[in-house]
Amino acid sequence: MKTLKFLAAFLLLLPFAATASAQKLQIPPHEKVVLKNGLTVLLLEKRGVPIVDVSVLVKAGAVVDPAGQEGLASITAGLLRKGTKSRTAQQFAADIDFIGGSFDADAASDYSTASAEFLTKDIAKGFDLLSDALLHPTFPQDEVDKLLAQSIDGVKASKDSASAVIFDYYQAYLYEGKGYGRPTGGDEVSLKRIKRDSILNFYETYYTPGNTILAVAGDFNAAEVKKRIEDTFGAWAAKPSPPVKWDAVGPAKGKRLLLVNKSDTTQTFFVFGNMETTVTDPDRVAIRVVNTVFGSRFTSMLNEALRVESGLTYGAFSFFRPGKVPGPFAIYSFTRNETTEKALDLALEILKKLHTDGLTAEQLASAKNYIKGQFPPSVETSAQLANLIATHEFYGLNDDEVNQLDARVDAVTPEIAKQVIAKHFPSDNLVFVLIGKRSDIATEIKKFADQQDSREVTAPGFWPGAK
Amino acid sequence: MKAIWSSGIAPIAVCALLLSAGSARAQDNAQNFPVTTRTLKNGMRILVQPDHSIPNVAMYTFYKIGSRNERPGTTGISHFFEHMMFNGAKKYGPGELDKVMEANGGSNNAYTTRDVTVYQDWFPHSATELIFDIESDRIRDLSFDRKKIESERGVVASERRTSVDGQNEGVLDEQLWATAFIAHTYQWPVIGWMSDIEHWTIDDLKRHFAMGYSPSNATMVVVGDVTSEEVFALCEKYLEPIPSHDPPPPVATVEPEQIGERRLVVRKPAELPLVMIGYHVQQTNDPDFYALNLLQTILYHGESSRMYRRLVDKDQIALDVSPSLDPGFDPTIVVITAQPKEGVAPEKCEAAIYEELDLVKKDLVSDQEFEKARNIRLAEFYRQMRTISGRANTIGTYDVFHGDYRKLFDAVKNYNAVTKEDLQRVARKYFGPNNRTVATLVPENPETPTAQEPKSQEQAKP
Repeated sequence: MKTLKFLAAFLLLLPFAATASAQKLQIPPHEKVVLKNGLTVLLLEKRGVPIVDVSVLVKAGAVVDPAGQEGLASITAGLLRKGTKSRTAQQFAADIDFIGGSFDADAASDYSTASAEFLTKDIAKGFDLLSDALLHPTFPQDEVDKLLAQSIDGVKASKDSASAVIFDYYQAYLYEGKGYGRPTGGDEVSLKRIKRDSILNFYETYYTPGNTILAVAGDFNAAEVKKRIEDTFGAWAAKPSPPVKWDAVGPAKGKRLLLVNKSDTTQTFFVFGNMETTVTDPDRVAIRVVNTVFGSRFTSMLNEALRVESGLTYGAFSFFRPGKVPGPFAIYSFTRNETTEKALDLALEILKKLHTDGLTAEQLASAKNYIKGQFPPSVETSAQLANLIATHEFYGLNDDEVNQLDARVDAVTPEIAKQVIAKHFPSDNLVFVLIGKRSDIATEIKKFADQQDSREVTAPGFWPGAK
Repeated sequence: MKAIWSSGIAPIAVCALLLSAGSARAQDNAQNFPVTTRTLKNGMRILVQPDHSIPNVAMYTFYKIGSRNERPGTTGISHFFEHMMFNGAKKYGPGELDKVMEANGGSNNAYTTRDVTVYQDWFPHSATELIFDIESDRIRDLSFDRKKIESERGVVASERRTSVDGQNEGVLDEQLWATAFIAHTYQWPVIGWMSDIEHWTIDDLKRHFAMGYSPSNATMVVVGDVTSEEVFALCEKYLEPIPSHDPPPPVATVEPEQIGERRLVVRKPAELPLVMIGYHVQQTNDPDFYALNLLQTILYHGESSRMYRRLVDKDQIALDVSPSLDPGFDPTIVVITAQPKEGVAPEKCEAAIYEELDLVKKDLVSDQEFEKARNIRLAEFYRQMRTISGRANTIGTYDVFHGDYRKLFDAVKNYNAVTKEDLQRVARKYFGPNNRTVATLVPENPETPTAQEPKSQEQAKP
C-alpha cells in the first residue's frame, strides 16, 4: 500500500541526535565486506532478543520505471517471493510462515528493498529463503496476473481514504508526473500496461550483485553468517547494471493548486510546499532542528496554531522527504469543509511568521533536547539498524550520522537557523493539493493560487498525464 | 489518540504469547526480562523492568476505565477526557505539560479503548523525575479550562472525521459493534457519537475524573534505563501521597446470547465494497483465549494461512482478510475484515470465509499448521519484547487483562495444554451462524441511482 511506502521513506528523515544521559549512543561496530561478485555485505552483531534482520537494497527504484509503466519496480520486488526455481509462491509462504519469519519487498523512488526477519535458531532456513527469492525468482505468469490485479484494486481502495493518497497526488502535481512525481506503486492505468517481459527485464537489468547492498543486524555470529552469505550469494553472477538517471526537475515557480474532488468527504485535506533537499544536504541537521520547531512535534508552531489554540484540526505537520535529488517539503493538515479557508490562511500565516520572526533561543534549545532525547528508540531494534546501515551505504553517509549527533545538533546557532529558513522553507513559490468536496470549497480556495486545476478522485491515476 | 504522529504503538491485541519447546524457555525469559512490582499504599500498582540498552525510558500508565464505563448521551467521554489530561493541571497549566516535556527531550501520547485509557511517555533517563512530577500533577490536580474544552472538542471532532467517517473500515466497524451488542456498553464507538462529542459538558468531565482516576484504578509500567529502586523512590515521593477513592462502578450488564444472525448494510460513495463479520467470544482472561489465538493464527497469519490461500490466492476474490480481537474485560467480538476485489459481491467473500470456518469445525488442523502457529506466536512474542515501548505495553496489557504480568511467562504452559481438539472445540463454540453479525459496505456513487437491492456483479474469474 502506498501509505506504508510513504512511511518507509519517512525513515530517511530520522532525527539526528544523541543523548544527554550518561550513556552515549553509538551505532554498534559493524563490518563491511565486498564479495568477489561485487555484492556489498554489512554485518552488525547486536545482542538482545534472538532475532536476525536482513535489509537488502537494490540501487534502482521507481525512478527507473519506464514511462507509462509506473509501478514496475514495485511489482518486480513484490513478485520475488511468488515463485522461485525450487518453490512455488505457496511453498515459499509456507516455509517463511512456518518459522514465524517475514519477507517483504517493495520499491521506493530511489531504490528497491527486500527485508527478511527470522529467529536466530532459524538462520539457515532464513538465508535459504532470502537467497532463493533474490537469486532465483521465476515470475510465473499466473502470479504476475494476480499481483497486478490486486495492486490495481489496492490503488482504488486507497483512494477511499483521502489521507492515504494525498501525498501521491501532491508529488505527482509538484513534480508534474516526473521523477518523484511518479507513484512508486503505480496507478490504475500504468499497472495494466506492465507485462511479464518488462518485469523479467527489470530484474535482469538491476538485480545484480554489484548493484546490491545486503545488511544483516541482530543476534548472530558475524564470521558464521559471512560464510553463509558467501555460500548462498557468492554464486550470484556478476554483471554490470546501468547507472540510474534522474529527471532534472527544478522547484516550482509561482503558485498553483490542484483540487481533487471527493464528494463524500466532510473534511478538506490539504498539503502545500515545494521541492527542497537531498539526503546528504550539508544543512540536514539544521533543517531538522528548525523543522522540529516549525512542524514536526506536538508543540510545533503549526500544531499549536491549527490544533492546540484553535481546534481546527486533529493535527498539522511539516516534513521534508529528502532523496538522491531534491525531495518534497510539505505542510499538511485537514479541517472540516467550512473551515478550509481559515485553516489554510493560518498555515500560511505561520509559515510567514517563521520567515519574519525566526526562532527564539528557547525554541532552539527545546528542539535540540527533543531531537536528542527522541532519537535512541529509532535505532533500538536490529530491523532499524539493518535498514539504517544499508541506506547510509547507499547514500554515502556513515556512522557519524548517529555517533556525532550531539555535536552536530548543538552546533546549530540562531544564525544558521535563520539561513536555513531563508534557504529551505519556501515562502512565495508554493504548490497546493486539496482533497475535498468541490461544491463546498471551490469558491473560497480561489485566492490561494492563480493557476487552478481540478480532477475527480474517481478518475484513474494521480496526474493528468496518466490518462 | 492524543496525537497522530507519535502513534507507533497502537493498542495491541493480546496475542503475543510465549510459546516454545518447554518451560525452561519460560524461566529464561522471566530472567531475561525481570519485572519488579510494588503496590503503593494508595493502591496504585507499579511494574518496573530495567533495560539499559538505550538511554531511554518508556512509561505506560493504564487506567481501568474506557468507553464501557460510559452512558448514552456522553459516549466518547473517556477518549475526550484522555485529551483533557494534556490540557492543564495545577502545576503544569494548559499547554505546559507538552512544552516542558518536549523541552526536556520527552514525548507522549495516549490511547483509549473500550476497556482502558493508557498514557504513554517516552523520555531520556535525565527527564525521569520530571515525568513523575508531571504525571502526579495531573492525576492529583487536573483542572478544566472552559476555553480548552471548546477547542479540544473541535480537535476530537476532526479526529472522528478522519479516523472514522473518512475511512470505510471506520464507518463499517462502528455500525458492526452497534449491531452486535444490544445491551452491553461495548455497543458504542470509543470516540463517541458526533452529537455526544458536540454536547458533553465540564461537569461530565469532572464526573469522569472522579469515577476513573483514583490511583487505585491505575497500573504503571516503567521499562528502560532505570533501576527499580530509583522508580520506587520516585513513586513514594510523587504518587503514594495521592489519596484514592472508589473505583468505577462495575459494568453489570451482560450481553445476552445472540440467537440469530444480524445483518446490516452501509451505502456510501466508495471505490470498493467491504465486509466485516463479528463473532461473540469470551473476555481476555477466559481459558479459551489460548486456543482461540492459535486458531486465529492458522486462519489468518501470513500468506500460508487458510483464509489468504482461499480468498486471496485461490479464489482471487479479496485483497486481504484479517481478524481483530482487542483485549477486553467482558465478553467481546472478534471482527473479521475482508476487502473484496472490485466487482466481487461481499457475499461471495462471506461464503468463502464460512466454508473455511466450517472446515476447521469439521476436521482437525494438520500437525504442520499446529506447529507453525506455535512458532509464529513465539516469534511474535520476541517482536513485542524487542523495544522498551512494546515491552511496557505488553507487560501492562497482561497485568491488566490477565490479572498478572507473569501470565506472559506462563503462557508456554498454557499453550502446551492446548490440543488440536481444543481448536476444533472453540471453532464450533464461536463460529456459528447464529453468533455472527455481518456488515457490508456497498459503494453507491452520486452518478448511480439509489439501489434497493445489492447488485451482485460477479467477476468472470472462477
